[in-house]
Amino acid sequence: MYAQAFFVAVFGLAAIGFGVVVFRTSSMVRSALALLFSQTAVGCMFLAMQTEFLGVLQIMMMATEMSIMAIFMVMFMMDPGGMGGMDMTHQKRFSIGAGVVAAGVAIVVAFWADWGPVTAEAPDAAMQTRALGMELLGRSMLIFETAGITILTAMIAATAVAIPVQTTANSADKEDTE
Amino acid sequence: MNFVIVLLALLGSVWLLAVVEGWTTTGRLRPAAPLLSGLAHLGRESIVPRTPDRVFFETAPVLLLIVAVLGAAVLPLAPTLVIADLATGALFINAALAYVLVALIMAGWGPNGAYAMIGGWRFLGQLIAYAMLIVMPITAVAMRAESLVTTVIVVSQDGLWNIVYQPLGFVLFFIAAMALAFRAPFDLPTAPGELGGGVDAEYTGVRLAVLRLARLTLVITLASATTVFYLGGWHGPLLPPWAWSLIKTLAVAVSMLLAGRYLPRIREADLMRWCWTLGIPLALLNIIVVGLLVLVVP
Repeated sequence: MYAQAFFVAVFGLAAIGFGVVVFRTSSMVRSALALLFSQTAVGCMFLAMQTEFLGVLQIMMMATEMSIMAIFMVMFMMDPGGMGGMDMTHQKRFSIGAGVVAAGVAIVVAFWADWGPVTAEAPDAAMQTRALGMELLGRSMLIFETAGITILTAMIAATAVAIPVQTTANSADKEDTE
Repeated sequence: MNFVIVLLALLGSVWLLAVVEGWTTTGRLRPAAPLLSGLAHLGRESIVPRTPDRVFFETAPVLLLIVAVLGAAVLPLAPTLVIADLATGALFINAALAYVLVALIMAGWGPNGAYAMIGGWRFLGQLIAYAMLIVMPITAVAMRAESLVTTVIVVSQDGLWNIVYQPLGFVLFFIAAMALAFRAPFDLPTAPGELGGGVDAEYTGVRLAVLRLARLTLVITLASATTVFYLGGWHGPLLPPWAWSLIKTLAVAVSMLLAGRYLPRIREADLMRWCWTLGIPLALLNIIVVGLLVLVVP
């Protein structure tokens, strides 16, 4: 019990620590990977709280997602390495205020909310995975399938929009240049 | 105890693979060569390039080694010889190996060099090509075993190995595993002769030694995963279970090496196109066929 609390605390602090690094660094890749390790620490918190499947899934998903985010940040920011001394922040006072208020609200909710009775014993990891599978392919199937199709449609639409329109004029240009 | 045994087995396999690699490239069989080469690297100057991202530069080789070992931690050599027999083993290996990408992006970005950076980002494109072909064949393997536990997956192949039960899945996984290990013909992030070493380019001395060790460990981990998922793991006659696991793992690793020696390097765009237009439909077909087999054949 104490060991569990200890590890949850350690990974929780690591998550906050990496979260702070995200905003302290000027390098876009450092920032993206700090966010990744913050999320990985959250995944480790899941593992410490005996939710193995969620923990492993979180650790797996974030690696790819944050890396892809890193390349987009490098592509779109003017000083991706943070070595040009550019200040890429804005609305500092407003964002500090908003951050403090949001943190305060989160803390109040965490302490005042009724979280229900604490589970005496968590089912073992294999049973949890099975129960999750039954849930995803049972009651929640429609919700997840709808979400999946919606995201797929958005991806196809975004790709279609990104492909330049091939008119007769510019296809002739292309042939000339080739 | 299991930890030490598996680690020693991993190290021994890496050494054998390095010997075979040296044999195929130089034509001479020199068992001491990997050790001597490692010692030579330790003796050399380990240069740090100008204005590096020091944290990434130092972390990348170590991270690559750690994730390769973590991936091997859930793969059994024998029924009880596994470091962590996790309930989500088949998912965990994906989670661990997803950080190969992170390590290579770090190795690419860290040294502040153009070739290294191109190599690092190239691997991101490579991941988008191969990732589904790692996950979807494993899904079909888990469907047959009705479990994500790696030891249960091996037990499910008692009598009929997955390479026979789902050959399509095996072919896709084998190719994707080679792409994940960035071995030729998928060595786009390093691309010797074209990118001057890519992510390897700026590493020297002890750091390069760790990076090379990590790459070979990654190959062994993926060969071991292929053994566990498709080649019946420890199953085999006469010899003890761990011996079968090691023999199969080395056979897969060497076949990856040989396949790479006789194939030209693939272009990034071609890899992406073939993986998405051919690989993923085939992986879906594999899942459907395995699903039907699981439901119809008792």
